[in-house]
Amino acid sequence: MESMNHGIGVDIAFLLLATLAVVTGWRVFRTDSMVRASFFLLVSFIAVGVIMILLAAEYLGVAMFFMMAVEMTVMALFMVMFMMNPAGLNPMNMVHQERIAIGAGVAGFLVLGVMALLAAFPDQPVPAGLDPVRSLGNEMLGDSMLIFESAGLVLLTTMIGVVVLSSHRGRYGAAAEGSMPPGLEPGGDPAGKPEEDEEGEGGHHHHHHHH
Amino acid sequence: MFSELFLPVLMVIFMLIVGGYAVAVLDRLVASALGTSQDGGIWLAPMARGAWLLTQHANATEAPDWRAWRLAPALYLALAAGGLAVVPWSASLVATDLVTSVVLWGSVEALATVVIFLHGWSANSLLALIGGYRYVALGLSYILISMFVLIGVALPAESLQFTQVVASQAELWNVIRQPLGLPLFLIVGLGMTFWGPLNLADSTDLAGGTASEISGPPRLVWDMARAAMLVAFSGVAATAFLGGWLGPWLPGPLWMAIKMLAVLFVLLLLGRLLPRLAPERCVTLMWVVLLPLSFIDLVWAGIGALL
Repeated sequence: MESMNHGIGVDIAFLLLATLAVVTGWRVFRTDSMVRASFFLLVSFIAVGVIMILLAAEYLGVAMFFMMAVEMTVMALFMVMFMMNPAGLNPMNMVHQERIAIGAGVAGFLVLGVMALLAAFPDQPVPAGLDPVRSLGNEMLGDSMLIFESAGLVLLTTMIGVVVLSSHRGRYGAAAEGSMPPGLEPGGDPAGKPEEDEEGEGGHHHHHHHH
Repeated sequence: MFSELFLPVLMVIFMLIVGGYAVAVLDRLVASALGTSQDGGIWLAPMARGAWLLTQHANATEAPDWRAWRLAPALYLALAAGGLAVVPWSASLVATDLVTSVVLWGSVEALATVVIFLHGWSANSLLALIGGYRYVALGLSYILISMFVLIGVALPAESLQFTQVVASQAELWNVIRQPLGLPLFLIVGLGMTFWGPLNLADSTDLAGGTASEISGPPRLVWDMARAAMLVAFSGVAATAFLGGWLGPWLPGPLWMAIKMLAVLFVLLLLGRLLPRLAPERCVTLMWVVLLPLSFIDLVWAGIGALL
């Protein structure tokens, strides 16, 4: 184990990874595409994961890789799906509410910086016989088993529910069978469903109202 | 310092090159045995193609994401290298004997989804983008099946370390102990490298999918990366199910090489024999049939570990 000797290599690796994590984290807000932002965030998390491995958290560090990989992919795709920016290659502004964000960022930096400078961090070397994977497993499936199992069950139920709700095909036909999109104004015609005889004209302003 | 840092790196690079070449040669051997005509000699043709690709012009599309587009093939190759690094050749000959190497391989599969999507997305081209989306839709099911099957082999070993997984197979290989494991894992392998029947990301119906717009050196790297990933996958399959380096008479690394080549041969044969699945049917197959089968495999492994 390198981390037990704590050679100069570990220090260099930590500095490089910390720089990578901060720089890619900063790029998340400077890039102009949601897909790029998601994957910059992924790189930042991966760098943090490697730092966790350096800190002998071998399971949590590696778990960070696959959790964040799937999470960021899903996030990127959902953002592209729900935003008016197909594929996310078109440039778009990623920053909103700049004054509040700057204020919150400065305040957060000051609080964390003060904590880093003033807090008394434990200075204990990793015990020789430590088995991080086993101790983590004992923690999760020992005293805290009820919490983790309930959380797991709730998540699984949510996942199955979401799949059932979003499934295109259902037991009684397509999921959208009989459903109507809401109108653009209260009580208006369904949006995005032009009537056949007015096709080509476009726009809902010319629609005659049924009432 | 040398033996700790450079030796593992050299070992992985050696396996990337030799493994990639082995895939190209073996695939041609399988193809010619099945009667598909191959231009050029079996041994020289892969090198000739590589040299030809190196001299070709790298295609450009209109306004691609250059960095991501050029990086994606290299990153996929790097992921294959990460997978090869945790494959043990004997109890001591392993590039990185991480205690969570099984989880690291799971991360390689998950990050492969990111890289393949990025490869399709960054080209700024329709068919490449569809290929990328297709892989994400399918990749999630591959990752889940693989995860359950690999937890199954970790149970008897009581460890997330591949060397321990091999050691736990001293009496009985996992391929017999958990009969569903290897077939499911082979399907994951074909899916993850989008090879043969599960080549839906780079398929001919998308004119090459995520690779439809690349040529020249990036194409060479992409093809090499896919071959290397297949090798890494065979290494993991041989380690997890076929007892890794264990075997009589011959030295461990040789047994490992034989088993890897056997898995590789089966995968390439399946790739040549089976027709490509329709993507929609493939999603149904994965979620409705294979994922429940992987649950059964895990329950089977759990009961076996308890008894």
